[in-house]
Amino acid sequence: MSSPPSQAALRRLAVTRRIIYLLVAIAVAVPTLSDLACDFKPSPWAEKVFKKVESLKPGSPILLSFDFDPAAMEELHPMGLALLRHCFKNDLHPILMTHWPSGVGISKQIIEKAAKERGKVSGKDYVFLGFKPGDYNLILNMGESLQGAFDKDFYKQPTQGMPALEGVRSLKDIPLVIDLAAGTAIEMWIAYGRDRFGFDLGAGCTAVITPDLYPFLSSGQLIGVLGGLRGAADYETLLKRPDRATKGMQAQSSTHVLIILLILGANVHYLSRRMGAYAKG
Amino acid sequence: MAAPQETTSRSRRTVELVVLAVLFVAFAGASAAGKRPANAPDDWWVTRLGVVIAAGLTLIMYSFLYRDNPLFKMAENLFVGVALGYGVILTWRQSLKPEIIDPLFIDPPHLHAFWMELARRSAPIVLGALLLTRISRRAGWLSRYSYTLMVGWGAGLSIPITIHTYVLQQLKPSLGLVSKVLGDAPAGQQASFWSTALPVLGDLIILAGIVSVLFYFFFSVEHKGAGSFVSQLGIWFLMVSFGASFGNTVMGRVSLLIGRMRFLLHDWLGLGP
Amino acid sequence: MWYKLTIPLILCFVMGLLAFVHEFVPHPWSAAFREEMTTWFRIMGGFAMFIGLYALLHLHVSRIRRQQAGWGYSAFVFLGAVLTIGAGVFEEIRAAVHDVPESAFSPFDWLYDYVQVPCQATVFSILAFFMASAAFRTFRARNLGAALLLISAVVVMFGRVPISEEVGRLAGAWDIFPRAADWLMEYPNMAVKRAIYIGISLGAISQSLRVLFGIERSYLGGGS
Repeated sequence: MSSPPSQAALRRLAVTRRIIYLLVAIAVAVPTLSDLACDFKPSPWAEKVFKKVESLKPGSPILLSFDFDPAAMEELHPMGLALLRHCFKNDLHPILMTHWPSGVGISKQIIEKAAKERGKVSGKDYVFLGFKPGDYNLILNMGESLQGAFDKDFYKQPTQGMPALEGVRSLKDIPLVIDLAAGTAIEMWIAYGRDRFGFDLGAGCTAVITPDLYPFLSSGQLIGVLGGLRGAADYETLLKRPDRATKGMQAQSSTHVLIILLILGANVHYLSRRMGAYAKG
Repeated sequence: MAAPQETTSRSRRTVELVVLAVLFVAFAGASAAGKRPANAPDDWWVTRLGVVIAAGLTLIMYSFLYRDNPLFKMAENLFVGVALGYGVILTWRQSLKPEIIDPLFIDPPHLHAFWMELARRSAPIVLGALLLTRISRRAGWLSRYSYTLMVGWGAGLSIPITIHTYVLQQLKPSLGLVSKVLGDAPAGQQASFWSTALPVLGDLIILAGIVSVLFYFFFSVEHKGAGSFVSQLGIWFLMVSFGASFGNTVMGRVSLLIGRMRFLLHDWLGLGP
Repeated sequence: MWYKLTIPLILCFVMGLLAFVHEFVPHPWSAAFREEMTTWFRIMGGFAMFIGLYALLHLHVSRIRRQQAGWGYSAFVFLGAVLTIGAGVFEEIRAAVHDVPESAFSPFDWLYDYVQVPCQATVFSILAFFMASAAFRTFRARNLGAALLLISAVVVMFGRVPISEEVGRLAGAWDIFPRAADWLMEYPNMAVKRAIYIGISLGAISQSLRVLFGIERSYLGGGS
């Protein structure tokens, strides 16, 4: 049985830990302060989402479900903003909602910012439905009657007869739904929404859950995915409107390289010690 | 006389308090240095105060990197309270008021409409109220009526949906390997060895991965002989997947840090482009 | 007693059976039944928030009453909740008394924007530091499995950032690292996730059947 670490070893560990924290902070802060350009090619899956939105005719409805809270804001806020800018640029009628009560404030900020840039009016050019509890029950409700599920929008205007919802009675009348999620909402939309009501479903998600969505991309249940801050940057690049996400890519690069160097350095040291011990016999 | 460890701990605490005081003065100075932008609205100071408080709370949260401390605990608990209050008010505004109060007491133009709405909504209102009896030890059994309906509905609904979405739809593309091997090349394309072989190779890898991972998790059969190799292959696939998940998790957390750093440097201190 | 246990279990089974069967019934009554039930559960979901509120407040009240270690911090939970709920109630009363323009100052939104958002956004970003430190201290290629994990993590981390395209250009193939990362995600990772989903869904189906038949009763809570 190994002996507990000595006080000196613990102090060394604490110092090493804090040096690493400092290095990470510098790796993030320096590129954030600089204005270096960053070129990259958007991923194929991000392009698929972009092309699908681009293919919608002006005046088409598009449902955006912002199912995230402030914990995922830094990744999904730029994504949501880029998506809404694209919708307004192409004169689509976005219908925004959320399954998370703590996501209402961020969703409101995003749509009001995007709408103000283009002079779009709530009720006429877009609808912000807000939040309702129920999760999959809400999706099933919306699949039968959108106005039944949300009889008023977030600003307390009746949804019945609203110009932005012209021709939309339920999810069956919406050609494309994009869910921005930090949890399992995308799978819920696939199971209870897309597979039942037949609309195309795109996803935007935090980088953490991106690997979990590849089976749905392969099976065609998702048309594409925007993964994390890189996904948001891809969409901004496709939209030709670089913003926060694109500016964050330099810091992302430098921090990833730092962490890779730390891992590789530690492993080179470990393997050389092991080989040395093996050589000694 | 105090023991040496106590003296070290006290002197360390004194140093920490001095450093904290210096940091607080630096924070106050940096916050006060923020310039009022041209054409700022009259209530700009409200937003600026908010940014300063947000920056303070952000830095207090980051103080956890040094060590757990009372300021961090205060901020954490304050945030829990605010999040709770926000959820309650939002649920009231977006769900309970428009679903119960408005249709029954605000919107209906006449008594007949009120009775119609009450008839429609009485069952969910009663069942919802029964949910709240869960907190009572004596009357908690009443909440079972509501829970069993909700849970039964969810369980019954999920069976066909799960089979369709997670089993059949997932097996379909994996079984498409056969049609790729036996099928013709797409129209207008001349099939070369590599244009046919590479996708098939990829699909074989996927099939091998699915079978070996499913076999690894099947603990009812002992993994020996050929089974041991298949199980080991499953472990290797799992390791590759965990590595990919780790890489993406690092990416996600770093992205969050980039956002907070941008807020501190740009929105609070006004630095950078 | 039969009304405390038997009837709820029967209700669970009947509701589950109706939910299952209606999926295969194309009659309009089936759609109407689904719409009615989903409306009921949507409304009931709103009440469930108050159980969470009670649970959290009860926890902190007990902590204060028993003066457990760290009980003083629980006062901040109440402070935050009272301030936010108070702000929300003030705005409801204000809106009921007179018309409030959209641009009017909202103390409720202010608390969300400048207290909840920064705290919640920061809590998870702290993990970036911990991950870097943990990766340096513990991520070692001790065996083949660990080496595969490490290589896969490095390939994905490098392939997903723009600098990999610059490095690739120097090597004569700008997209070699992004394509390697994409291949890892679309083939081995996808296979594993698919297998996990199939396995989990089979377990979920069996668990749903256990709930419907009354074998699984943990959701009923304590008591008889």
